[in-house]
Amino acid sequence: MLLWPLSWLYWGYDMDLKTRALTKSLWAFHAATSPCNNCDIEVLDLFTPRHDVERFGITLVGSVRHADVLVVTGVPNYKTGERLKKLYGQAAKPCFVVAVGGCACGRILFQDSYNSPCPVDEIVPVDVYIPGCPPKPEAMIAGIMKLIKKVEGK
Amino acid sequence: MGDVVGKIREKFYGQIIEFEEKSERRIYIEFKPQDIPEAVKFVFRDLGCRFATATGTDTPQGIEILYHFSYDPRGEVVSLRALIPDRKNPQIQSIATIITGAEWIEREIWELLGVNFIGHPNLKHLLLIDDWPEGKHPLRHDHG
Repeated sequence: MLLWPLSWLYWGYDMDLKTRALTKSLWAFHAATSPCNNCDIEVLDLFTPRHDVERFGITLVGSVRHADVLVVTGVPNYKTGERLKKLYGQAAKPCFVVAVGGCACGRILFQDSYNSPCPVDEIVPVDVYIPGCPPKPEAMIAGIMKLIKKVEGK
Repeated sequence: MGDVVGKIREKFYGQIIEFEEKSERRIYIEFKPQDIPEAVKFVFRDLGCRFATATGTDTPQGIEILYHFSYDPRGEVVSLRALIPDRKNPQIQSIATIITGAEWIEREIWELLGVNFIGHPNLKHLLLIDDWPEGKHPLRHDHG
């Protein structure tokens, strides 16, 4: 009887407490794997008052060990690809990967470049692709919302 | 026309191969590759210009290296140009001993264009992986 005020946490939704807590506060780590910095500026736009994704509980963190989401921009080259793999290995699981921009989604015009061995999804498993050059902050918010829906299992 | 350019012309009279004034504030001065360290030293230390960056280009005449200097009080940019005609084994004196900030850009030009900077303190790969095949320079037109 004492526990009933908390019971909605368990019975109101068909997911457990951890998943619910996760979807209410996705912490993101921004991994820039040799981008042109255009996507990065748009990612930073998300945290300005106009778009302010902190109202969804999303914030940037300084260490990948605190992160739930790995936001990847740019096409990985031989050097940053290795580091991206290490970053993903260091992240606490579950860690979702969001590929932001055309480069991260599929290398676009860098596919014949001398220094781009593979796209992001051949290094780490990508959950959400947000194409665009650069994608609008609105598109990124839509992508994150899709990620939250995916985690909730909807 | 600023006094910077006037002083360079005065000091290196006879050593300047070509003088090109693209606009009032954008000047290109071509030197022989062996005169570059002396000219850089004068422009950087005596005239107090800021070293912006260096750029390298593979041209049909040879490998061209530009050292861009900015004179901030007047907003002028002076570029010292050196053309290395030897494409097989291009080499030039390093300016990293004069300007420490030039170290990385010389490393980049070395790995991408294959220009050997003589006297560079730490000539190793910067953007490419360490075991990049030797003699393969991606920004050369004969790279394939």
